[in-house]
Amino acid sequence: MQIGKIITINDISVEIILSNTDLKIGNILEVEGNSKYVFEVVEINNISAICVSLYSTRGLQKGSVVVKKSDELEVEYSDKILGRVFDSYGNVIDGLPFESEKRVKVSNNTVSLKSVKVDNEPLWTGIKVIDFFAPLEKGFKMGLLGGAGVGKTVLIKELIHNIYASSNSNAIFVGAGERSREGKELYEDMKSSNLLDKMAMVYGQMGDNPVSRSKSVATGLRMAEYLRDEKKQDVLIFIDNIYRFIQAKAEIATDLKELLIENGYPSNMASEISQIEERINSNENGSITSFQAIYIPADDLTDDAVQTTMSYMDGQIVLDRKISELGLYPAINVFKSTSKLVDAEKIGERHYNLVERVLASLTRYEELEEIIAVLGIEELSEEDKNIFHRSRKLRNYFSQPMFVAESFTNIKGEFVDIKDVLNDVENILDGKYDDVDESKFRYIGKIS
Amino acid sequence: MKGMCDMELNKVDKKVEDIKNNDNIYSVGKVIKVNPYTVIVSGLNDITYYEEVNVADKAKGFVFAVGKNNITISLVEVNEKINPGDEVYSLKKQFKCLFSMDSMGKVIDIFGNDLIAGKKFDNLVEVPVENDPIPIMDRGLVTREFLTGITGIDMLYPIGRGQRQLIIGDKKTGKTQIALDAIVNQKDKNMVCIYVALGKTKKEVKDIYYELTKRGAASYTIIIASFNDELPNRTYLTPYASLSIAESMMLDSYDVLVVIDDLKKHADVYRQISLASKKTPGRDAYPSDIFYAHSKLLEKGCQHKDGGSITILPIVETKASDITDYISTNIISICDGQLVLSSKNFAKGEKPALNYGLSVSRLGGNVQSPEMKKIGSLVRSKLLEYLEVRDIYELANIDEMSIELQNRMKEGKVILDKLGQYKFSPKSKEEMIELYKFLEVGDTDANR
Repeated sequence: MQIGKIITINDISVEIILSNTDLKIGNILEVEGNSKYVFEVVEINNISAICVSLYSTRGLQKGSVVVKKSDELEVEYSDKILGRVFDSYGNVIDGLPFESEKRVKVSNNTVSLKSVKVDNEPLWTGIKVIDFFAPLEKGFKMGLLGGAGVGKTVLIKELIHNIYASSNSNAIFVGAGERSREGKELYEDMKSSNLLDKMAMVYGQMGDNPVSRSKSVATGLRMAEYLRDEKKQDVLIFIDNIYRFIQAKAEIATDLKELLIENGYPSNMASEISQIEERINSNENGSITSFQAIYIPADDLTDDAVQTTMSYMDGQIVLDRKISELGLYPAINVFKSTSKLVDAEKIGERHYNLVERVLASLTRYEELEEIIAVLGIEELSEEDKNIFHRSRKLRNYFSQPMFVAESFTNIKGEFVDIKDVLNDVENILDGKYDDVDESKFRYIGKIS
Repeated sequence: MKGMCDMELNKVDKKVEDIKNNDNIYSVGKVIKVNPYTVIVSGLNDITYYEEVNVADKAKGFVFAVGKNNITISLVEVNEKINPGDEVYSLKKQFKCLFSMDSMGKVIDIFGNDLIAGKKFDNLVEVPVENDPIPIMDRGLVTREFLTGITGIDMLYPIGRGQRQLIIGDKKTGKTQIALDAIVNQKDKNMVCIYVALGKTKKEVKDIYYELTKRGAASYTIIIASFNDELPNRTYLTPYASLSIAESMMLDSYDVLVVIDDLKKHADVYRQISLASKKTPGRDAYPSDIFYAHSKLLEKGCQHKDGGSITILPIVETKASDITDYISTNIISICDGQLVLSSKNFAKGEKPALNYGLSVSRLGGNVQSPEMKKIGSLVRSKLLEYLEVRDIYELANIDEMSIELQNRMKEGKVILDKLGQYKFSPKSKEEMIELYKFLEVGDTDANR
């Protein structure tokens, strides 16, 4: 069905003079006889429609005739998604034959207050610093925040290894605006460890145009909703990286000449994020536990997009460049990492008190570091010396050999039980290991 | 009267001749506004996006935006002043760059010129300015080593073929030197090297040309230059075209190294162009798609499944050793690791002036030989621990430390000293391993 003709062309958007007004927002159009140029309608007025282009617009001719392709972007809604790799628009890209069973529209409503489920069982990651400072439960939304190159993706991969590999849950991995190399590596990793067939992957990576990068999250979510609502499962979804979603939206908004807020973000950023985040919820059918990496642009934690996204998280793990500089991985800042579960009623008195003691000790340590820089260690009181040495041991203890980082550390990864962590921390604080050298605590599992 | 007729006939003849001379002239428009790097043109109603156009034989450019009533042309070559009313011919072909296979050992631009000889090459082929992104599934794993001959890199923060490793640091910390060392070390390693100079002075580029020629690297190195006095659009396009050249070589199963010196200048040029074309500025006045501008470029770096590879060493210049500014963190988040150079270390005489704490290789041991991986991870963890302990115990009296700590401090100092290496003095893997043999021996001693 002919819709109209291309009249303006920009990098991402085109305008179409309409000869047919039977058109809705979200409709997918293509240039007649050339499926290289595909558009999604984002705005309609009396005589023209503004569209974003799913692929590059280079070589597109002014005056080209545009026809309707489908009502909306669609995604596979069946078990056929498992073990497969999709692009942001729901197309299979792993090069293997694919037969569709059922396809549905990507858009969906958020979960209502009536059906949203909140109480769940705890979920241990086996990563000491996370289980201790920011424990989580099923149905949680965990934000992994970090600047560039401090280890977000490695941590996401370790979580996939520790949680997904040991559970029966299906998982969705969404690559949004991240490195294609890592996307391929994850695929190969999952394939070689026979974990691929319980998982679906959606990629709109950083070399793709912003429309692709902004769509991969919703496409992945629709698949997660299938697993939750149709298969009644507890689903895991890993999103790397949710910040790239809003970054891509900013690029599109600029191209559409919309008015932007500070730092170039779209003015409807808050609602864009809520549309996505409110969909990631547990209901009576099953739970969706999500791990969302959040990139921090320019190491600026006060960035609007970061803050808005963080307000939806049940817990946050903050990765810190200063700690990675010390060679301590995972480079988690324990002062900023927390979760809603850190509450004596939920994790128990003992765990809660230990967290408080460790934080107090580490806070004092930071103060002491400044004093030492001026006076040296000898000048400290006996009590402060103890705090100083024990804190350094604690800090080293919270580094951990990770399974997926074996190629960096040459040490095999370890899954540490929370009970061991609590015992070890208590013992370090109580001075049981005062005569052990601090370097013995680096990159170990539990203290043996 | 007759004269008038003749004149009219002459005009027609001239037009016919014009069309003959430019046998691919398709349609004609008129300049209505002249901006610094763009012109606005009316007419050309069947133009395609990114088509090449000729402005009255005075200038060359490509279609940057197609509007309802006019089009915007980005200029890449201006030989004479353009005036409103000048005729604009569309050439009915996509804008492409020119490249000659005779470019080896030469300094060239992306329009087929040999800049040292001052003339065009004879056997030119057209190269697209930009290709579609390389699909995830066409990528292989990055596992083959790429050796720079610098111990601090090959051993601690190794680079693989197909990796993107950023070199970042202040002015005069040896960034370009590391890249040149890497190029010189590729002799007899079946690697094509492309050094892309962006916004550098002619003197700097000539120095680099002499340096590489003198050290015998000319036979496998191409220098692609865009100087700081050229049209910003040329500087903007140069890295994309260079990567297109590299991509076609990679698809012919070559291993290619591309050095981009430097991307901060590229970002600034892109900002200049974007602001001139009235795009809404984002953070630090850079356009919202500045991340994409670099991500689509650097995503060309990969190990292709068919054997070829593109290794990219982008360079970014920082101010006051701050690697957390917007552009730096963007590029860090795209690359597979970074080599951070510190002006403090440089001043102390540590060459290469690497900041070993902040440097990262995300591929780590995956791209190292087993011996290098084994000893490299040992050296790295000992070194980082030493650097951290050194800072804390700076004021402590070494005689009062525990023997264990004293030994570690002494050992750390030796490890650091052995990383020192003067420019253009590459070491082989065997030499590097030999340097640190003492660590393994020492280790077994301690275990006894």
